[in-house]
Amino acid sequence: MTDAFNDQDERDVLAGELALRLLSPEDEVKARALANTDPGFAARVEGWNDHLAAFADEIAPVEPSAGLWPQIDAATAPTANDNGRVAGFWRTWAIGATGLLAASVGAVAFLVAQPDPVVPPAPPAVVQGGVTRVATLALEDGAPILTIAYDTATGNLFLAPTTQLAGQDGVPHLWLVRPEGGVQLVGAIEPGASSRLALTNILSGVAGQATAVAISIEPRGTTPAQDAPGGPVVASGEIQQL
Amino acid sequence: MAATLTRDELAVALGRTGLGDRAAFRVVYEATSAKLLGVCLRILADRQLAEDVLQDIYLTVWRKAETFDPTRASPITWLVTIARNRSIDRLRSAAPMRKTTPVEDAHDLADAAPLASDILEHSDEVKRLNVCLSELDDKVRGVIRTAFMDGVTYDTLAQRENVPLGTMKSWIRRGLLRLRTCLDQ
Repeated sequence: MTDAFNDQDERDVLAGELALRLLSPEDEVKARALANTDPGFAARVEGWNDHLAAFADEIAPVEPSAGLWPQIDAATAPTANDNGRVAGFWRTWAIGATGLLAASVGAVAFLVAQPDPVVPPAPPAVVQGGVTRVATLALEDGAPILTIAYDTATGNLFLAPTTQLAGQDGVPHLWLVRPEGGVQLVGAIEPGASSRLALTNILSGVAGQATAVAISIEPRGTTPAQDAPGGPVVASGEIQQL
Repeated sequence: MAATLTRDELAVALGRTGLGDRAAFRVVYEATSAKLLGVCLRILADRQLAEDVLQDIYLTVWRKAETFDPTRASPITWLVTIARNRSIDRLRSAAPMRKTTPVEDAHDLADAAPLASDILEHSDEVKRLNVCLSELDDKVRGVIRTAFMDGVTYDTLAQRENVPLGTMKSWIRRGLLRLRTCLDQ
């Protein structure tokens, strides 16, 4: 028996597959890209989330340890958000990007000016904003290796590597440095060409708040933990608000 | 000492959290953390890991509460979706290290416990999902339920059910289509 789905059926089923997280990593990336560029599809994904969350009604609650709230309380306390708690390890890598900011802004302007055939014209009422956060990542010797621009409105992350990045032995992975300390993996990045990532809801929240970004070089065929690089951190840069 | 809040009360507390109200944030935590830990634990099957992820989830909630739109989603749906997605991200990032929990054990865990009277129970969403699920074959209903509960991919489901990947996809895709038609009514 073959599945005779029309286009709308295909879109709705794909939205359900994405909401359920059924897809392989490759297919999930593609579906997320669609959700990021197509508000109608994104709304279908949200619709599935709304319906499917009802499954959680069957899940018995489990009281967390008493020590958990104090940790959350401390991590979200006002004094913890002053960027002063970026771990020292990361701070040592956080090359002051001030001198490179002009270059970043130039690169951003270039990226924004490029026509992008992947993105259909979207209704302006839905997609607003623009590039609001930028960073230039530099090697320890100060050589720029990557410029990023993040659009907090759409969750799009633009990446423009220099040739230095392609020369690394291993797979570069991008990390966000959280304001309360700690890091969050974004994923592997393409060393040879400009690219764009559509961040998930959760990642986009982190990206909107992150104080810095960093690159680690991971051995081929490995995936680091979400919160700790496995390979060496070779470059980092502070995020600047435009 | 989970506080019992109505959906509207929780929506208000979440909205106030978005404005930086720490007391409201604590109210949200106390009303929902046990439910969300249940969701995390169901997917991650490891108490310590689940609590680590739960901590991350509430940091995300604190930062993202201002984006919560009560006209578009119920507060518990919004929270459950964050909890489930964050748990799945962690599960998949650690996949090679994780020991597989037999799905039957996990079912016992959830099904033996009394259903707490909480924010989700008896809501329209639950009723509607259950009505529409009841229209599906037992087998299809079962795999869609497992996909949600355990946060597993088509590949894993096919292996667990010992059917070809294409068969599993076909079951679920047809099931989702029937669900959509029913849920949209």
